[in-house]
Formats: sequence, C-alpha cells, structure tokens
Amino acid sequence: MQTENLSPQDSIDLIQSMINKTKNAVADNSVFFLLWGWVVFGACVVQYVLKNMLHYQYHYYAWFLIIIGIAGSVYLGVQQGKKQKVKTYVSESINYLWISIGITYFALGFIFAKIGYQNSFTFYILLYGIGCFVTGRLIKFSPLVWGGIGAWLLAVLSAYLDYDTNILVSAISILISYIIPGYLLRMKYKRITTT
Amino acid sequence: MFKELDPILHSQLRLAVMSLLISVKEAEFTFLKEKTNATSGNLSVQVNKLKDAGYIEVKKQFNNNYPQTLCKITKTGIDAFEVYVKALQTYMNPDTNSGQ
Repeated sequence: MQTENLSPQDSIDLIQSMINKTKNAVADNSVFFLLWGWVVFGACVVQYVLKNMLHYQYHYYAWFLIIIGIAGSVYLGVQQGKKQKVKTYVSESINYLWISIGITYFALGFIFAKIGYQNSFTFYILLYGIGCFVTGRLIKFSPLVWGGIGAWLLAVLSAYLDYDTNILVSAISILISYIIPGYLLRMKYKRITTT
Repeated sequence: MFKELDPILHSQLRLAVMSLLISVKEAEFTFLKEKTNATSGNLSVQVNKLKDAGYIEVKKQFNNNYPQTLCKITKTGIDAFEVYVKALQTYMNPDTNSGQ
C-alpha cells in the first residue's frame, strides 16, 4: 500500500473497505455452543433415563456432567485468546453476556436448592433464550435468534408440564437453541475463512 | 468552505490502520498487516507515526513465548478521525456546507 495523495472519494472508499474487513473479525464461537449443547443435552437424557427408567434416587447426579462444560470452556477460551489477532467490541459483549448468564445459572442452583427444583427448567430455558437471541442479533446470525425465540416458547410451555417432561423439553430446547445453530454457525465460519 | 485535512490521517496506509482500529477494541500488528497488505517495515513506520501523534497506543508483550504487538485507538485518535471524516464531507457535499 502506497502513501500517494488521496482524493476525498478515495479516502471514503478506503475507510469503508477497511471497516468492512473487520465485520468478519468476530471469533468462531460455535465450539462453545456445541460443547455446552451436547453436555446439557447429554445431562438431560442421562437424568431422564436414571429417573424414569432406572428409578435411581440420585438421578440429578447427571448434572455433574457440566464439569466437562466448565473445564472445556476454560481450556477453549484460553486457546482462543492465544490465537485471536483482534478483539472486537461484539466479541467482548458476547463474552460478558455468557459470563453473566453462567453466574446466573450458578446462583439459580443455590436458589432452587432452597425453594425447590420443581419449575427450575423453565428458568434455565428462559436464560438459554436470552443468550442465544442476543448473541444471534450481535453477530447477525438468524438461526441463533430463532433458537432463542424457540427456547422462550418452550420455557412458557414447560411451566404447564411436570418436572419429568421438562427434562425432555430442556433437551429439545438445547437442541434447537445451541446444537443446531452451533453446527450452522460452524459451517458459516468455515465458509468465510475459506473464501 | 473546505476544511483542511489532517496530514497524519491523509495518507493511505495510516488511514487504513485508523479505519481498522476505529471499529475494533484492539488488534495485533499481524492483523493490520494482513488486512492492509502492507510490508512489515512500512506498516511499522506508519504505526509509529500514529503513535507519536497520540492517535494510537502500541503495547508490546509476549504471548506463548512469541512477541506480540497490540494496537489500540486512543480518544485523541477517535476525535481526530471524526474531525477528518467531517472535513471529508465538506469536500463531498460542498453545496450543503457553503452556507454554514
């Protein structure tokens, strides 16, 4: 790139082209959706089987699977941080959004331990909805936006269903809001990086 | 009336660097090099000029035992960029600005 004299139109074109080049600079977050999607989906299925088919008293032990999600997220987050050449405000906003949702999940664990877990899935699914909808809007990716809307609808439905059915509703919710958009996001990111 | 264009910004590579940094929080030197297609030597000189003008901050650190140079636009840089874009507008729309 040279430093010859620029016309005002050249300057405007240059500014536009450089700003456009940063639009795809948001990191590929699909791996986090897939990691958490499969961990939570797995925990729901394991809990349902333990509770309703094996009639195991400590069926909620299935949720210890989230330790895999936490450890995996920390590892992948550190790796991604090392590779990332640019920090955008969108990436930072998404990080803070999911950190705050994670803390809310953690706090809800204590709250439900006190008030009872009967309707706990309704609130967990509502939170999936917020995270997916906001992330989808920030990165302009409609499958996540629709996944978030789907999660909110399922959250309303779950309020009318019993606890056992809600385990499965939660699994469906995670499938439509994390897993399917996660794979579609990965495909989109691969397409961007190969073109 | 035409406004004078900031000579620090009115250069192709420096303007490209500022335009990239205006839309991100911070970027590595390698990111700027990749997006501007500039040589390391030329980019380094222009980055230093922007730094000397107070338009960007340059932070050198180690990441995984490799040296890393991070660049970030400053408040002065954002203000200068905005003034530059407004000045450009006077050239693009001279009729609307002549009455002001």
